[in-house]
Amino acid sequence: MSGEYRFGRWVPAEQVPPEAERVTDQVIQRFEHVFEVDPDLMGRHFNQQKMATWDTKRIVAARWDHLDAVHAEFADEVILAGEGPDPGPTTSQEHE
Amino acid sequence: MSNEHEHNESATAPTAATAATTVDLGTPQFLGEVEQAFVEKWHENATGCFSSGHKFCREVCPVTQVTRNENHTPTAFHANVIAMEKGHLTVEDVADDYVHCTQCGGCEVRCPNTLMVGDFYRARTETVKVVRAMRAMLVDKGLDREGWKVWNRLTNELKNEPVLGVEGDSPNAQAQVRDWAEGLDIPIGGDTIMFVDCEAAYYRTSVPRATAQILQAAGYEFGLMNEQWCCGGPAGEMGYVEQSMAFARHNVDDWRKSGVKRIIAIEPHDYVHFTEDYPAYFGEEFDFEVVQIIDLVAELIRDGRLKLTEPIDRVVTYHDPCRLNKRKGIHEAPREILRSIPGLTFKDVDRVTQWSYCSGGGGGLPIEKPEITAEISRRRLEKASELEVDTLVSACVWSERPLTAAGDEAGIEVKDIIELVAESAGIEIGGRTRA
Amino acid sequence: MSTISIEDEVIDRLNAILGEDGAVLTNKSSRFNRARVPAPFPVHRWEEFIPDIVVLPRTAEQVSQIVKLANEYKIPVVPRAGGTGLADGAVPMKGGIVVDIKRMDQIKEIDLVNNTVTVGPGINMQTLNRSLKKHGVIYPDDPASYACALVGGRIGTSGLSLLGARYGHTRDLVISFEIVTPTGEIIEVGEGGGRKVRKSSTGYHLKQLFMGHQGTLGIVTEATLELVPRAEAEFAAFFLFEDYETAYKTFALIAKSGLATLGGVMMFDPEKVDYLRRDDEAYIIQPDWVKAVCAASLFGTKIEVEVGAKKVMELGRSLGGRYIGDEIAAGDWAARHDRYANPLHGRDKDGKVVPMSWHCEDAAVPYSEVPEVLRKWHEIAKRYVDQYDIFDDWGAFQYTNGAHKPWADVLVEIDMGLWEDRMDEESWQAFVSLKREIAQVAIDHGGSMSSCHGATRAGDAELVPTEMGASWEVMKTIKRALDPNNIMNPGKQSLDEAYEEVTA
Repeated sequence: MSGEYRFGRWVPAEQVPPEAERVTDQVIQRFEHVFEVDPDLMGRHFNQQKMATWDTKRIVAARWDHLDAVHAEFADEVILAGEGPDPGPTTSQEHE
Repeated sequence: MSNEHEHNESATAPTAATAATTVDLGTPQFLGEVEQAFVEKWHENATGCFSSGHKFCREVCPVTQVTRNENHTPTAFHANVIAMEKGHLTVEDVADDYVHCTQCGGCEVRCPNTLMVGDFYRARTETVKVVRAMRAMLVDKGLDREGWKVWNRLTNELKNEPVLGVEGDSPNAQAQVRDWAEGLDIPIGGDTIMFVDCEAAYYRTSVPRATAQILQAAGYEFGLMNEQWCCGGPAGEMGYVEQSMAFARHNVDDWRKSGVKRIIAIEPHDYVHFTEDYPAYFGEEFDFEVVQIIDLVAELIRDGRLKLTEPIDRVVTYHDPCRLNKRKGIHEAPREILRSIPGLTFKDVDRVTQWSYCSGGGGGLPIEKPEITAEISRRRLEKASELEVDTLVSACVWSERPLTAAGDEAGIEVKDIIELVAESAGIEIGGRTRA
Repeated sequence: MSTISIEDEVIDRLNAILGEDGAVLTNKSSRFNRARVPAPFPVHRWEEFIPDIVVLPRTAEQVSQIVKLANEYKIPVVPRAGGTGLADGAVPMKGGIVVDIKRMDQIKEIDLVNNTVTVGPGINMQTLNRSLKKHGVIYPDDPASYACALVGGRIGTSGLSLLGARYGHTRDLVISFEIVTPTGEIIEVGEGGGRKVRKSSTGYHLKQLFMGHQGTLGIVTEATLELVPRAEAEFAAFFLFEDYETAYKTFALIAKSGLATLGGVMMFDPEKVDYLRRDDEAYIIQPDWVKAVCAASLFGTKIEVEVGAKKVMELGRSLGGRYIGDEIAAGDWAARHDRYANPLHGRDKDGKVVPMSWHCEDAAVPYSEVPEVLRKWHEIAKRYVDQYDIFDDWGAFQYTNGAHKPWADVLVEIDMGLWEDRMDEESWQAFVSLKREIAQVAIDHGGSMSSCHGATRAGDAELVPTEMGASWEVMKTIKRALDPNNIMNPGKQSLDEAYEEVTA
């Protein structure tokens, strides 16, 4: 799962994380599908650390590799339903 | 029993033992300035571990796998910070415990605080930094271990690590730092330089020779430094921070002098130091691009600039060097390289399983605890034996010395991946693979 | 204990028994690092929970001699395996000798003919299974702490496996084991006799007596374990619901489906879903109408799992559940092992991130009682969260409890955050009382206050006599008979009562 990003090439200018966009009232994201806590929630009782781009990418890649390995731990093959998410209830306020 | 009973209403076990040794555990001790700064700096990271205490790190820790002593677990390295903060433990109490670490980073990546949410909170477990900070404190307080003292004193004198032995007159100084390159006609300076670490420059010279000749064969331009000193990384790992910074300063100045823009790190530890320690030491001043050799060689092969034509008739497995796999996420490029070598039978073990593998060669462990390093390597070769291979391929020259010693026992040869690439490219490598 | 009170002579004799350097540890870091487990800990009273001596034995014979010596001097003995338990089984309440069995981690025999593996108690399940994989078999004891718990501790707590509906729990998967009794005898316990026999009608079934004793009846020194054919295929599906009630009914439909490959059925309640929205990548993106989740997993041969998967999809949707989608279902199932204990899940009253210790109160209750138990639990939790600044309700989940019989009783767990860093004696006592209230609800509803963690610490321990009822007398009689000097892990489960009556 960890392709694409070149972990073996360190370019200083690439290490500063991009600007964030908001996902929910508690969550932002800087890289596609990589969520982060709203930084406003941090700092009072626990500080954020400096984290270069490569390190965020490393952790995300490691997580997916780990989850694959957990599956492989208990079975030779993972069978999926082969379907995307079902649509939500039509009367709900989900798109508000 | 002493009279320290105020917390102890429930201590009514039917014990008949009488006090022969009395150690006061109840009265907190005040911390000195250095210790206070240490616990304040690491309080949050230690709390992250201490308050969860799940210990997923234990079974991936190569040292704990051997000693099976909870004192040597990454969990203990964090709990000690809290215990010091509460006045229960002193630096002296834990000094020896913190020697038991190769700084492989397995614990950090396996810790759920890193693995599951480290990116989310921008807060991950930093055990390696805690170990280094503790070792730095040992140096400050004169509690550093004897072997490390000697090693770093000699490094400071020689400007290179004494990899050929701390006794006698081994040819291991600046005068010999480029001996490995004899006959290869490599220029000094240029846009890109190849940084050759101490173990490669003096001990396993086949590695830098293979690397240089591969790059030459691919038409990739590079030079060597004017005056190459040790990267300073090992000193930093053992707690000699000032020495580490001084060596880094020297190397950066040397690169500046020749107008260098890009450093090729042929060794994983160097890649970590150049991309983590040097930026920490120098901030924005450090604007060099750093390339790990495995990534570069994989690219040269992929782009057809390096042709692998000679079949290599070996059955191999790959040892993920800790600093590539666990600490830097580099695990696909070496596999891509191995799969491109004709004739090679490659029996792979996935990178996640290898989070618990190590050679034991890092973090100064072989200097202070050579028996633990040897046992870690023995176990690594045992894993390789189960795969019925004739060769264990690594990509870290520091791992290759202990692995080779264990390989001699196991009847498995240890090769550097770049050596195999060079052979497959039809290059006569030269140099040597052992002392 | 706040002082060392062990004679030098004891240390000398322990050194003679262990016979190697570094196997008898009396220094402070060795002792402070063997006080706590992951459960919330009264950090402000750390020194009360440290052992006087730590020993690292390698053989049953050494363990036996250590225990005999402890009897001679009447020194408490506390066994410690991984130290990953959630109910303080391995926490020394009265000092003494911690017998840390991590060095007994060998694989002694892999018997592929009779499908058993014999190991030392210090081995971890993942480590073991990595060695077994090439043989096509697995030891499927799968707690959330799969990668760090050790076999000895699993026996000591009688743990629950996430694959229990399919393969059974620790009590079912351990065929027999060797244990050093509180007086130092080395015995083997199984169903009857026979180290590799799964069912017997001879004698008393001593295996289950020594299963889940939380270190109060001895120290396990070897275990013979089940080898199950590795599953060809795994399937996991998550269904989203607009309300708890429909998810709860769906849980039963799947649990009672009769699917033999069912690994387990799981549910998150609305509080848990809210909590997961804080930082779980699978739930952050879920729309607001999602209030509850029901999930199921299957393990077995490919042909069985493929057919079973269709049935699970049908049942999951039959009452209105909505499939979460392949992408999340796969990752989320695997993530269940590791996600639970991160301290930064915690939030203060303003929603700011607080590092909290994870406390999970587990109980086994009949299916019919689950909604009422959860309602009361959250009510209790809210009272404490409102009153003290150090608690946080992290929601509840439920999981099929019975080995091979997923259709009835349920493991329910309420997860709470506890801010250890700010804890003082008053809030610690509040925590103990919170635990007691939660445990009492489970008992009141015909359940057991712990399905898998144990009832060993303050808050639970006082209620063991209540839950056990008239059989509490038998329990005390057994404890006294096997451990006349009360040296095995004293102070746990109210068992000290067994000795008070004798002297009274």
